This record gives sequence, structure tokens and C-alpha cells, in this order.
Amino acid sequence: MKNIVSITTMRAAVCVLGGLAVATSLAGDSISEKAVSEKAKKLHFSSIIVDTHDDTTQLLLDPKFDLGVRQNAGSIDIPRMREGGLGAIFLSIWIPSKVTGPTAVQKALDQIDAVREQVRRHQKELMLATTADQVRQAHKDERIAALMGVEGGHMIASDLGVLRTYAALGVRYMTLTHSGNDEWADSSTDKAVHNGLTDFGKDVVREMNRLGVIVDISHVSDKTFYDALETSKAPLFASHSSCRAICDAPRNMTDQMMKDLAAKGGVVQINYHVGFLSQEFRNAEKADPKINEAIAQEVTKRCGSDANEGCMLIEGDRVTREYVAKGVLPRVDYTKIIEHMDHAVKVAGIDHVGLGSDFDGANMPYGMEDATMLPKITEALLNKGYSEGDVRKILGENTLRLMTDVERVSRELNLTK
Amino acid sequence: MRRFRACLWFCFVVLVGSPLVAPARGDGIAERAKKLHFSSIVLDTHDDTTQRFFSTDFDIAKRNADGSIDIPRMREGGMNAIFFSIWIDGRIMGPPAVQKALDQIDAVRENVRRNSKDMAFCRTADDVRRAHAQGKIAALMGVEGGHMIGNDIRVVRIFGDLGVRYMTLSHFYNDEWADSSTDKPAHNGLTDYGKEIVREMNRQGIMVDISHVSDKTFYDALEISKAPLIASHSSCRALCNHVRDMSDDMIKALAAKGGVIQINYEMSFIDQAYKDASDKLSGGVVAIFDRLKKECGDNEDCIGKKMAEMQRQAVAEGKLPHVSWERIIDHIDHAVKLVGSDHVGLGSDFDGASMPEGMEDASKLPKITEALMRKGYSDDDIRKILGGNVLRVMEQNEKVSREMQTQ
Repeated sequence: MKNIVSITTMRAAVCVLGGLAVATSLAGDSISEKAVSEKAKKLHFSSIIVDTHDDTTQLLLDPKFDLGVRQNAGSIDIPRMREGGLGAIFLSIWIPSKVTGPTAVQKALDQIDAVREQVRRHQKELMLATTADQVRQAHKDERIAALMGVEGGHMIASDLGVLRTYAALGVRYMTLTHSGNDEWADSSTDKAVHNGLTDFGKDVVREMNRLGVIVDISHVSDKTFYDALETSKAPLFASHSSCRAICDAPRNMTDQMMKDLAAKGGVVQINYHVGFLSQEFRNAEKADPKINEAIAQEVTKRCGSDANEGCMLIEGDRVTREYVAKGVLPRVDYTKIIEHMDHAVKVAGIDHVGLGSDFDGANMPYGMEDATMLPKITEALLNKGYSEGDVRKILGENTLRLMTDVERVSRELNLTK
Repeated sequence: MRRFRACLWFCFVVLVGSPLVAPARGDGIAERAKKLHFSSIVLDTHDDTTQRFFSTDFDIAKRNADGSIDIPRMREGGMNAIFFSIWIDGRIMGPPAVQKALDQIDAVRENVRRNSKDMAFCRTADDVRRAHAQGKIAALMGVEGGHMIGNDIRVVRIFGDLGVRYMTLSHFYNDEWADSSTDKPAHNGLTDYGKEIVREMNRQGIMVDISHVSDKTFYDALEISKAPLIASHSSCRALCNHVRDMSDDMIKALAAKGGVIQINYEMSFIDQAYKDASDKLSGGVVAIFDRLKKECGDNEDCIGKKMAEMQRQAVAEGKLPHVSWERIIDHIDHAVKLVGSDHVGLGSDFDGASMPEGMEDASKLPKITEALMRKGYSDDDIRKILGGNVLRVMEQNEKVSREMQTQ
């Protein structure tokens, strides 16, 4: 445990070296400080770091949970975001895709409210942001920008009015599906029934363009991706997907998909989930389906049958690690994230890759347990020979550029209507 | 033939219509009233026009032959601030009620957006003043019935975030946490959760509206609320003994806490003879509504139109008495005599109720200003009634909200 003096010293050092009054870690011990060079730290803590997918929202539904307090479980809270330099976070609004209709709508509203309440409660630390400019402003004010993404089109209950409502409440992206098909789009992990996007689905995409809501193609089927890419007037992104060339999961993107996404100005935000990063891990899971069943059973046992989604997500990660410790599942190191980034940069270009951790919603690799570990990404990219400008792009600037583009298209469409 | 009919209509308007609208007495009051009216913020806290947005044949930007509200008639009547009511049948509850309410909120926002040259979406008293200064109609929203939150306090905050600035605690039926004036009491007023909701409304700056609620709910809400309340569309029980109206004691208690009663123009709320005849003929407002609901299903615009047609017919057949718009003035005057000019305003219920003769639509509103002036009301008092009082209550609610949020 570090004392106050050393924290103050470190902050002062950063100010002097960087010539910038940037808030760095506000608390505590961190692996990142030990493992990361001064150069990387300086770069990291002066960059705007945007993570486009975090499932922390589930935990916020518990009124006792306080984002302002350092937690023992999970990956995200204000102290750890500060420590890892995470400056902007898209909190995911998510309910299982089997919940549909008005019930899905009300549950989504509850989560949007939970996010907004945390922002109201921590006004000095957080700022609700809906534009790239607001993210930059939050960074200047030394506040963390909180943004929202709706993870699954089932939550609009086939109602464009609900989509507009989410946008009005500050939602800035919507994933067209989650793991099941919804009424108007096919998912990558369900049996295709719509042949991609239905006509209504295309209307949804066009309305998202007008509203300035980013079209997110993580989770959707390849055909849905291509339909959305063709329909959308604004660049799209994959809020949390990795590379299929390295790990052949339907949730990841093929090289061709990434090239096509990039050609339209989009960004692939690399997901840190071990099952999407490592072919070896994926093979082990597939080889013995009983492993995942056993993990699921253990999670249910720990969280109770009246399962709270937040508990399930966090315990899922914990139990998976226990299986890794026992040697049942292979150990995946955080350097695998860098491998995916580097591959995506080579395929799609430096302007089209970013961070979409899936913290608090997936199984994190060793060395990337929580937000405090993020400086290691900067360090690793510098070590690979990436320029400082390129690292900044991956850390957040690419996402901010995409947001700016989406905002411009929205303004143009509103003028012509 | 057609031209002949047009001429007949024109002659009728010129010869008969205009003297009715503005009696020329040569005392200059008509002119002075007009000037006062059209320089004031005229704020109506209850209009059911929202339902009409779902009809393909309604366009708020055009003058409509039916109903009471559209931009041309609001302009003509100097009505420059309107609370669009978000309302669905009180028997629809849970998530479907929430989603339907969102659809209506969206419809209001979309209509304002499409008519942004004429209307400005407003959340605060300052917003309303700014819209007025720009020559735009201020559009606001009120949720008419606590059943629309799906028994979920988070949805209250969501409504607030979307711009809803008042919520009526119940509609015709009790909801999960508040008794209605037109239902059998089930909660003895507000439940504990209902009280929590009132406090949350205070925190969000959403005005507590006690129209429609039972007397016990009213007193419970009055006690709990840290900010002044409104009755968004209720009249005086002393003049017309209807449960939807307020007793003198209630009006006094409301005023003592800084609130306002916004007079409703519905005939069965303002005229005892009409109410008695209507009760005898059809069993009262709720019964009529229920019957029409069966005929029209979910088409609320249809219910409104049929109700108006039914009333017209019954009056024509002599089954219901004529009610003059001047009854509205009687109610305003009664409330002012009771609690003073700081606690009375306008809550027409246009497009959701049966309007008295001479107050068919928004274009008729200048008559209220002239009538009050003829009664000897000062210009200041008239401005307060036309809108100033509600703006004051909005500001007080905003202040309470700020204080509670910083605590």
C-alpha cells in the first residue's frame, strides 16, 4: 500500500514531465506503476482513454453498490479507473435477449437511470457525456466521462419511439442484437431467421444515423453486419469484438469484415475476453462442454437461483479462473490483447482500432484483471514500436473521431429532413 | 351551391359571430384586454392533444376543423405555453403502461422538433420566458397518472430526465400507491411508496399534481411535498359538487403551501345543472368514458371526438343544459375570492373534455382576459392567472430540486 506522499510525488512528477496538469492515479498500490516505464506512463496519463464496453451497469442496480468506492470484485470503479487512467467509459445497458417487449424497455430504463444516478451522485468525479467534445471537456475537467450504449436491439421492443427515447436519455450506441436474434436482426450466435437486417431493421439503422447513435455491429451475424454497413450513412463500430483470424469465434471479425468496416471509417474495439482472444482457450471450452456447464452451475450456486446479473458476471470470471488454476482451462495472458490489436492495425489500419474491454462482463486474461492494468497496453504498444500518436489513436482518439463523424452525419440528416 | 353555403356561413360569422366574440361597448376595455392578453404569457397546464398526434389526419401545424388545439388557433388565442398531457387508461399498468407513456413523450418531442419554428421544448420557467421572448409557443409535458411509472421510482426519474414537469398522482382509477377521487379507496390516500415517489418528484423538480386524486391522497401529498403542488385541471366544488373539483378547504390548504388551482373548463366540473343532468343521463364522466372506450378501443382521439359529438347531440335534444363559457370566470373568481390572485390559473382540459359554449378552442382565450378585466381585476392579477402563478410554482419546484440535489 502506497502512502499519500508517494502518490503526491508521482502526480507532481507527471505534471513536471508532461507539462500538463493531468490527474493520474488518486489511490493506492498498482501493478501498472511497477511494470510500466516512465515514458509509457507519461503518454498514457496524458491521453484520453476510451473504453467502449463495460458491463458494470448490472452492479449499479444494487442501491448499495457505490462506484466511488474501491471494490474487491469486478474490474471497474472510480478509484481503479483513476489509477489506470481510464478517462471515458461506455456503460452497457444490457438485459438477456430472451426478455423482449415492454418488459425489456422498462428494465433498460432502470439501467439507464442507474447510470444517471451514479453520475448525479459523483458529480465531481463523473460527467455524463454524449458527444466527443463533452468527452474532451470531461478530460480537461479531470472528470471521467460516462457514456451509455444499449447492448441489443431487443430493448427497443420494435418501437422507434423507444429508440429516440434512449437517445434523448443519452444513449450513444446500440448493438443491433445481443446473443439471440431480435425482431429485426440476426445475431452471430443464433440461427439466422431474417437473412441479416429486415426492412424495419434498416429503418432502425437510418433512425440511429439521424439521432447520432452509433451503429454497433458486435454480436450481429456477418450478414447483419454487411446489411448495416450498406445501410448506414455514418461509420459503424464493433464496440467489443476481436479478430477471427487469431481466434475463430463468431463474435470476432474476419479480416475482410475489418477491412470493410475501416473503408467506411469504422473502428474495431478489441474485446479482452479470453474466449475471444485465445484459440487454445476456445478449443478447450469446446472440447469439453461440461466445463462451461459446471462453471454455470457453480455460479448459480454462489449467486442464488434468483440470479442477479451483476453477481453472475463477476462470479463467472472468478470461477473460470479457478478452473485455469486447476489446469482444466489454459491460462491466457494480457499480451494476447496486444496481439489482436496489432493484427487489426495491420489489416484495417492504425485509424481503425480501439479498446472495448468487456470488463465486468467477461473473463479477463491474466495481467488485465481490472482498469488499473491499462497502462500496460500503452507500454506494450510502445515496445512494439508504435509511435506515441498511434498509441493515442488506439487508446481513444479513433473512437472520438468516429463519434465526431457520427455527430456530423446526424446534423446533416436533421437539416435535410 | 357550394359558394352559396360559403356566403351564408360568412354572413353568419360577420353578423352574429363577431358581436359575441367582442362586445363593443365603447369603454376601451376590449382594446386594453386584447393588448394585455397578447403581451402576457398564457400558460395552460392541461391539454390532451397528445392523443391526436397518433392520428394520421391530425397536423398540429394546420388549422383543424375539430378539437381545440393547433398552432394556428393557439396563435390566434394568444396561448403561448402548453402542457401536453401524457395519458393512457389507468387500467393499463406495469411495463406496457411505461412503454405507451414513452411513445407519447416521444410524440410530443417529435412534433415540437418538426415545428421548431413555432414551438420550443421547455423544462423550466426560464425556458418558457425565453420561448415567449422568441415568439415561440412553449411546449411542456405532464404525466397524467402515476400508473404510468410501472410502480418503479426509477421511471419517475426517467420521465423527469425526458422533460416531464408534473405528474398527476392518479387518474380515474387507483394506482399501486395512490387513491383516486373516482375509485373506491384502497390505500387510505398515499402508501409509503407513494410518499417516497412524492419526495423523489420534489428532488427531480417534477411538480406534484393533485387533480384526480382522492381528498385523502391530496392531504397526504400536501403534507409530504417539500415544494408547492398544483391541481393541473380542477375547478371549485363549492360551485359544482363534483369529486374531481376541490372543496374550499382544499383550495385554502393548497394555497397556504404556495400552490395553484388551475381551473378546468369541463362542463360537468363547472356547472351543477349540467353535472346533475349528465349523471342522470349517462352515469357521469367515468361511465361515459368507459362506454366510449369499448367502442373506440385504444384510439383515444376517437373517444374524444365521440364524446364531443354525444354532448352536442344531448344538448341539441334538450337532454343536457347549455353551459356558457362564463362559468369558467365564476370558478376563477370564486377561487380568487377564497385564496387571492396568487393561487389560480388555467387548466382547460382542451381536447380531453366537453367545452362550454363560447370556449370551444384556444382561439377563444382572450375572452377570459376581457371578462376578468370587466370584473375589475388589475392587469397584474390577470397576468398571474394567465400564467404567472404557474411559472412561480415551477420556479419554486426548481429551487427545491436544486436544494435537495446538493444535499
